[in-house]
Amino acid sequence: MKQRTNWGSEAGKHIVLIVGALVVILPFYLMLSFSLKSPSEIQSISGGFFGAQEMMIDHRCLKAGRSELECTMLPIVYNYRAAFEEAPLLRYLLNGVIVTLSIFAIQVLIALPCAYALAKLKFWGRDVVFGMVIFCLLIPVHAIAFPIYLMLAKIGLTNTYAALIIPWTISVFGIFLMRQFFKTVPDDLINAARMDGMSEFSIVWKVMLPTAIPALLAFAIFSVVAHWNDYYWPRIVITGDHDLMTPPLGLRMFKSDMDGNEYGPMMAAATVIVAPLVVAFLLAQRRFIEGITLSGMK
Amino acid sequence: MAHSRSHIWFVGPAVILMFVILILPIFVAGIFSFTDYNLGSTDFRWIGWKNYEALGKYSAYRKMFTASLTYVVIVVPVSVFLGLGSAMLISSLRFGGEFYKAIFFLPVMATLLAMAYAWEFTLDPVMGVLNKVLDDGCSVGWFYKFFTGSWLGFNPTESWYGGLCSDRMPNWLGNKKYALGSIAFIGIWQAFGFNMVLYLAGLMAVPRDLYAAAEIDGANSTWEKFKLVTWPMLGPTHVFVVTITSIRSFQVFDTVEALTRGGPSKSTYVMVYAMFEKGVKQNLIGMGSTLTIVFLGFVLLLTLTQVFFINRKVHYS
Repeated sequence: MKQRTNWGSEAGKHIVLIVGALVVILPFYLMLSFSLKSPSEIQSISGGFFGAQEMMIDHRCLKAGRSELECTMLPIVYNYRAAFEEAPLLRYLLNGVIVTLSIFAIQVLIALPCAYALAKLKFWGRDVVFGMVIFCLLIPVHAIAFPIYLMLAKIGLTNTYAALIIPWTISVFGIFLMRQFFKTVPDDLINAARMDGMSEFSIVWKVMLPTAIPALLAFAIFSVVAHWNDYYWPRIVITGDHDLMTPPLGLRMFKSDMDGNEYGPMMAAATVIVAPLVVAFLLAQRRFIEGITLSGMK
Repeated sequence: MAHSRSHIWFVGPAVILMFVILILPIFVAGIFSFTDYNLGSTDFRWIGWKNYEALGKYSAYRKMFTASLTYVVIVVPVSVFLGLGSAMLISSLRFGGEFYKAIFFLPVMATLLAMAYAWEFTLDPVMGVLNKVLDDGCSVGWFYKFFTGSWLGFNPTESWYGGLCSDRMPNWLGNKKYALGSIAFIGIWQAFGFNMVLYLAGLMAVPRDLYAAAEIDGANSTWEKFKLVTWPMLGPTHVFVVTITSIRSFQVFDTVEALTRGGPSKSTYVMVYAMFEKGVKQNLIGMGSTLTIVFLGFVLLLTLTQVFFINRKVHYS
């Protein structure tokens, strides 16, 4: 039975969805727009999306003793320059990259062999270990953040990269996911590798890892997005040391250090922090949606 | 099967880390929750259940439960409904579905803290775009009529919007009447795209011939088909979406810490924020641990409810 398109109802659906899309886009639009406009345009809610881009004088630059000519610039330049110069934004971004990549690398290093053993090796206590993995799936790390923080504080690890990374080194979800995936890999493949004299260790990294690339890619997106955006944990373990702050925490500090009405530079910094993931998402939507909803597809 | 000992090296690190990072902290919190330990003092006393009793005794903690539960009760149904609604609209489109899907998913991806600040500027009582629109709308005939309900015959000056027009626009994050609602709004904005994707996947899995069968049984209207086929076939998706949204809403922290710090007058004092304030900022380790245990209890309860429903076979296929 073939249905004819009802163009009236199609148009109705589009209208509803467009209204929803406008609400969803609104804060992104304002964030970008504020990062382009001059303070006076922001205060008076004028100037449209781009603002008039009239030359303005940066007062902080004048105070620093530079000439008026040097300190006259477009609002867009003013905002982004302030974001990078008034706050160590590059440092925050670098920290974000270091932390998210270290977390992902360690998670794979720990989870992959464990998942392989659980899926393909027979050993005493295997069911106990798998039971432990299932039990740990019930515990969100954010819920036990406080006692983890206590333990790290006790051994003097707060305010270090280690503190940012350690709680996330074990991903039981990663173990579970990879185990389910390895279950589908045929035993013959592994037996053939053993016949060739490969050690179990090289089977994990040279045979299993390559078969798992698609699943690992989804897990990478899941992990990197979660930790790039995480604010709660860095807020707990990093107190005051700007050199260790991740992007969201840095943005938080930037806001409390700035005067009350520096909305332009604030939103420029926010744009820079949000942009990498949003751009990557728009380029590879399907993969991102798959990765982030991974926990929902098991 | 090879009899090597390599499994010890494969499983060992994971088991140790699971124990130290995920299981041990629960015991640590459990033990300290019975003490009055704080980081300033060198020793502590065992005080039994006093920390737990405090949760019922002081109004700050009662407000905490109220704020957390209210937030969850607002965010979960609305974001689940919007997720399902947008998924059904998108999946029935002839064209443009991918476009809306990408847009609705954007907030899930974007750094919530940064977006919280963008919302703060949007909701600002003086410079915010929302209040400017509402303010300007007071003098636009159709807008005023629509939002005061006078087109339905209500008295415009008695309505909520009419009252705002004659007084002034609300301070969305600074007034205790609106603060939790505004935070919840941001939560919904952020969460519903995630639910939408799960529902889209769930809808894809509904066999087409069930609709044809329903038609033979006399279900002709869209609503009847929805009631007879779509809704029940989405059973497992419902359970999962509701559970994960509840757990995530219980964990709300970023927006509260950045925008209201639990205020005004503790109206947005949600559990995770309380845990952070008592345990980390004020170094009250006993109380921070108690809150951790109670919070973990809530999360486990939600997850076990999910397991219970899944085992009850929420759909028939």
